[in-house]
Amino acid sequence: MASSSTSLKRREQPTTRDGDQLIVTPLGAGSEVGRSCVYMSFRGKNILFDCGIHPAYSGMAALPYFDEIDPSTIDVLLITHFHIDHAASLPYFLEKTTFNGRVFMTHATKAIYKLLLTDYVKVSKVSVEDMLFDEQDINKSMDKIEVIDFHQTVEVNGIKFWCYTAGHVLGAAMFMVDIAGVRILYTGDYSREEDRHLRAAELPQFSPDICIIESTSGVQLHQSRHIREKRFTDVIHSTVAQGGRVLIPAFALGRAQELLLILDEYWANHPDLNNIPIYYASPLAKKCMAVYQTYILSMNDRIRNQFANSNPFVFKHILPLNSIDDFSDVGPCVVMATPGGLQSGLSRQLFDSWCSDKKNACIIPGYMVEGTLAKTIINEPKEVTLMNGLTAPLNMQVHYISFSAHADYAQTSTFLKELMPPNIILVHGEANEMMRLKQKLFTEFPDGNTRIMTPKNCESVEMYFNSEKLAKTIGRLAEKTPDVGDSVSGILVKKGFTYQIMAPDELHVFSQLSTATVTQRITIPFAGAFGVIKHRLEKIFESVESSTDEESGLPALKVHERVTVKQESEKHISLQWSSDPISDMVSDSIVALVLNISREVPKIVVEEEDAVKSEEENGKKVEKVIYALLVSLFGDVKLGENGKLVIRVDGNVAQLDKESGEVESEHSGLKERIRVAFERIRSAVKPIPLSASS
Amino acid sequence: MGTSVQVTPLCGVYNENPLSYLVSVDGFNFLIDCGWNDLFDTSLLEPLSRVASTIDAVLLSHPDTLHLGALPYAMKQLGLSAPVYATEPVHRLGLLTMYDQFLSRKQVSDFDLFTLDDIDNAFQNVIRLTYSQNYHLPGKGEGIVIAPHVAGHMLGGSIWRITKDGEDVIYAVDYNHRKERHLNGTVLQSFVRPAVLITDAYHALYTNQTARQQRDKEFLDTISKHLEVGGNVLLPVDTAGRVLELLLILEQHWSQRGFSFPIYFLTYVSSSTIDYVKSFLEWMSDSISKSFETSRDNAFLLRHVTLLINKTDLDNAPPGPKVVLASMGSLEAGFARDIFVEWANDPRNLVLFTETGQFGTLARMLQSSPPPKFVKVTMSKRVPLAGEELIAYEEEQNRLKREEALRASLVKEEEIKASHGSDDNSSEPMVIDTKTTHDVVGSHGPAYKDILIDGFVPPSSSVAPMFPFFDNACEWDEFGEVINPDDYVIKDEDMDRGAMHTGGDVDGRLDEATASLMLDTRPSKVISNELIVTVSCSLVKMDYEGRSDGRSIKSMIAHVSPLKLVLVHAIAEATEHLKQHCLNNICPHVYAPQIEETVDVTSDLCAYKVQLSEKLMSNVIFKKLGDSEVAWVDSEVGKTESDMRSLQPMAGAASPHKPVLVGDLKIADFKQFLSSKGVQVEFAGGGALRCGEYVTLRKVGPTGQKGGASGPQQILIEGPLCEDYYKIRDYLYSQFYLL
Repeated sequence: MASSSTSLKRREQPTTRDGDQLIVTPLGAGSEVGRSCVYMSFRGKNILFDCGIHPAYSGMAALPYFDEIDPSTIDVLLITHFHIDHAASLPYFLEKTTFNGRVFMTHATKAIYKLLLTDYVKVSKVSVEDMLFDEQDINKSMDKIEVIDFHQTVEVNGIKFWCYTAGHVLGAAMFMVDIAGVRILYTGDYSREEDRHLRAAELPQFSPDICIIESTSGVQLHQSRHIREKRFTDVIHSTVAQGGRVLIPAFALGRAQELLLILDEYWANHPDLNNIPIYYASPLAKKCMAVYQTYILSMNDRIRNQFANSNPFVFKHILPLNSIDDFSDVGPCVVMATPGGLQSGLSRQLFDSWCSDKKNACIIPGYMVEGTLAKTIINEPKEVTLMNGLTAPLNMQVHYISFSAHADYAQTSTFLKELMPPNIILVHGEANEMMRLKQKLFTEFPDGNTRIMTPKNCESVEMYFNSEKLAKTIGRLAEKTPDVGDSVSGILVKKGFTYQIMAPDELHVFSQLSTATVTQRITIPFAGAFGVIKHRLEKIFESVESSTDEESGLPALKVHERVTVKQESEKHISLQWSSDPISDMVSDSIVALVLNISREVPKIVVEEEDAVKSEEENGKKVEKVIYALLVSLFGDVKLGENGKLVIRVDGNVAQLDKESGEVESEHSGLKERIRVAFERIRSAVKPIPLSASS
Repeated sequence: MGTSVQVTPLCGVYNENPLSYLVSVDGFNFLIDCGWNDLFDTSLLEPLSRVASTIDAVLLSHPDTLHLGALPYAMKQLGLSAPVYATEPVHRLGLLTMYDQFLSRKQVSDFDLFTLDDIDNAFQNVIRLTYSQNYHLPGKGEGIVIAPHVAGHMLGGSIWRITKDGEDVIYAVDYNHRKERHLNGTVLQSFVRPAVLITDAYHALYTNQTARQQRDKEFLDTISKHLEVGGNVLLPVDTAGRVLELLLILEQHWSQRGFSFPIYFLTYVSSSTIDYVKSFLEWMSDSISKSFETSRDNAFLLRHVTLLINKTDLDNAPPGPKVVLASMGSLEAGFARDIFVEWANDPRNLVLFTETGQFGTLARMLQSSPPPKFVKVTMSKRVPLAGEELIAYEEEQNRLKREEALRASLVKEEEIKASHGSDDNSSEPMVIDTKTTHDVVGSHGPAYKDILIDGFVPPSSSVAPMFPFFDNACEWDEFGEVINPDDYVIKDEDMDRGAMHTGGDVDGRLDEATASLMLDTRPSKVISNELIVTVSCSLVKMDYEGRSDGRSIKSMIAHVSPLKLVLVHAIAEATEHLKQHCLNNICPHVYAPQIEETVDVTSDLCAYKVQLSEKLMSNVIFKKLGDSEVAWVDSEVGKTESDMRSLQPMAGAASPHKPVLVGDLKIADFKQFLSSKGVQVEFAGGGALRCGEYVTLRKVGPTGQKGGASGPQQILIEGPLCEDYYKIRDYLYSQFYLL
């Protein structure tokens, strides 16, 4: 299970490191509905869920608060479904910001995304400077979007993620992200109820550590689907029977298809209605039909069985309507038109002309965002403002029958109870609804082990996960399982969030990396006798072995078992060694030596004698230097008995043994300081012992 | 130690027989593929029958007979009852393939190895996975994760990855690295260093694969050449596998050239196949899904291809040259065989094979070179019984029925005798005066038994035959009959149901004609006659098998470089060839087991897990190399609270280690790097790189295959003492990390 390797630490624990901090920040949809966009960061990996716009605003104001983050740091952007409050700022984000990560969505979402946004650009009546993106941006964004199939696991920079069916609209997904064993579930909009064409949201088989869940419906309970359908058809039937007109403002895609399925079936079962036309005023939806016909694998078994006989999405009683000009308003009819919020467009035009007649009806078929006209008329005001600025009485009946396919309270609480995530973050809900939901959920999880958070936009939620880092030691290093106290040395290879320790010569066996040896061969002009070189080398280096080269029979020398010096010809000698820092150094000194021989022979001889003599002097010099340096550091330093140095600092006394470096003092701080200082001094004045390198 | 893995081939090693392998991972037995050939030779399944009951899970890789043909038979007859895992297309197209096989066979023989119901049952409980879905096995397989990945050979075709404790066992047969019209290339090369790779050597000796464009051109030229002289073209194909690629090629070409020659796709399930394929866009190549996303053009909306599901439609088609794709590819059964016999003697016609026929089949015989002039073919046909035969049949049936009825009545009688008197008071719906019935039983009881109507069996407790009688008693109170309010609740679900029952059929979309054929219970018999067919039509074979060729197989295996390799499914020479190649160049553990020979490919890898303590990790500085990071650690083993080994920093100074240069130097890349730094650089002979005027750099030692799999690289840099030398050495060092 997810939580086995990770343990949640509370905020107050001081030992946490930055790398274990998990931050969730809603950039949109934090205590509001619309412009879903949730930022998440853990262990240097940054993920953005959804990229929507707020349907009630226009221009830049509709965007999520992208300023809060650096888009170039985002590794992965995951889009749950094609609704504009979840996907519509994507072209902007991809084309107008520094974002250069990867974007994923499901096949169906991608296919509809393009159609929907192209339509959105055309429909939204905003000035050119307010336009966030144009059709070209959408087309360009298509190339950057990658597709993911349900349940398919994808890994990007060590972030693993996969998605589950969400049930909300065709192609809607819930994303599960796994970073170093910490799992985060982002539901997007989801519904646990199977309807006419969609499957219910799945229950993930793993419990997440954090669940970021929508709260649109708050504590409401939905009526059963059949009752809703019956109310819907009854209202329509009675209205048209009395000669009224029915307006259904709906989003072009998603729930509209469900309503059309209901209407088409109802008309088929009621021949008396067959002379009453149903218009669906969305050329967009017509274009999307091919998508609905193709991705039947994402739908439920019912529709797939129906599909065997005839395509249920080829409607028999529903007529397309392209614009209001083609529409002759005579007698009763049913019109489903976009946009769903009655902001503008055809649905608004029809509303304006029908709203004052009490025979007519308007059915709001789903959740409406605050600030739209559709939301306003649900409260049945006496008057409404028309598009042309005039006010008109609102006489038409307004019905709110939700087909919005958001999980209601019962679904949400059972979903959470099954998953039991230790952290719940509520997003995508009105502040008040969200608080009520939070309170009610608290009563459901009384044990106090569950944190429920409702961050506002740009408010970060911080959590700490101290996940253990586990490494696997493999190959030769693991032949013997070590006991406590044994040492393990090797190359640590980190890939994603998995660690392996292995011996260097097995690197190519267990990883894609490989090691290399660089052999260097350098030729130096040297005309003197080879014996001279040998002689000189023996003076400087501890180990010089003579041999003869097997191939050429020429004399060769091996210095410190690292560098081979060979006489190539009368005028050249060659040096050969395999690269590492010490060998490089040895070879450099040999080169210097050889060059010096050829340049100034006599001088070196003198130096050589000096070198022999100065052995003792050197020792004295070293001691002097050490003494001087210690004085500069500690001030009062005297040579005590038995050759030890006595150092006094602020009344504390310490004795330092110059040979072994041992320090005796009652004051531990001083002792440590002297020890460290002495070690540094010694390493500075005494050359590196060559033996240390092999 | 490592996970124990054993591989036992059950069929399909050292020959081209169908594939079926038993892979046991820590005692959990996977049956990977469950193939059969077009001849349905039961002797091939003997090894499977011995182990069928011990199988814990079945994994299917491709939707054709060779990979899943034996599934219905094994489920029905051999006691195979494990859950089956496959991708959605493999499941659906595999089912259609089996339908087609069965119906083709049934037409020409008294085929009784399995029935349509057996096929349905076998496929009913297939658990469908998507590509790269990590499925955690439940129950006994706890801890094992399986995942199908793109194989590139057929729609939905998979290579399987079985993972336990971080060790991968990969099963990859019939993969194709080349992208095709409807399929993406395989992702096999994304796996590196699996513990075990099980792969086929089928194409190991096959090397001269022509480039796709040229092959397509030849293919279409050959076809159009024959069409233009008025000949017909027959392509014997499989039911739902490689044929999809051919359909797309033809479709594309026809729309480009504006050909009007009709194309027919004739199998018993052709229309269902295409209907399903149309909804499998997620599984196809990027270009197909992209074109759908942008323009909503479904590539399998075939405008030039007519789908036929019976031969009569083809016979009724307007005369004239045409292209027919018909199953089976082996010409052993199906429409292709009939059409071949009809068309073979016209030299204008063409039979175009797109894949090597199965061993011992008519197709294979025709593909031999030189092609045979005559072939002896046994043609069988199912004909309805007529005349005397029909009468004889009916009599026989009646006699059987009578015998059965008699037997049943005898059994009944026994039962009644046994149960007589003990339970005649039980509360069956027939409440009859018991006094009278006793008399009946005593005197006439058995006498009535024979006159019962078929299908009606009297309850054993009844004393005399009688139709069921239910007394519909109603309760009353002072307001009248007591009612149940539930009966009057409006059934909201009515609307649903109206739509539901139009769905009907379990599998949804069997063609009506097929269904009628299946339900056809008219008495019929099979008549066979042997005829000699003169083969005067052209026979051409082209490679549309969609498998990687020998060279790619080798480089693919080298890239994957498994720790252990198991070779299957190829003739002996090919197996041996690939085995030697891999032993020499790739890995020292190559196995090619015989049938029922178990090879133990348990990895001898030692490993243990340790926890990396925070203290240690805070001192480790990683260096980034490609997509991984490396660092040297010196540590001491300690214990955590949970008694797990943990690595702590060394208490004392670490003993120095031999420095390691980590990195992978590509000479060509390095050349570019040097020239970007302003160094004159060029290739000299023998793979050496001449940098500047004097310095040369080369890779020495056993280079082996690319990918650095064969061992550490050895690089030699030499030159005279000069500034350039040190400069280039510094550049060289910059390509590596020193640890």
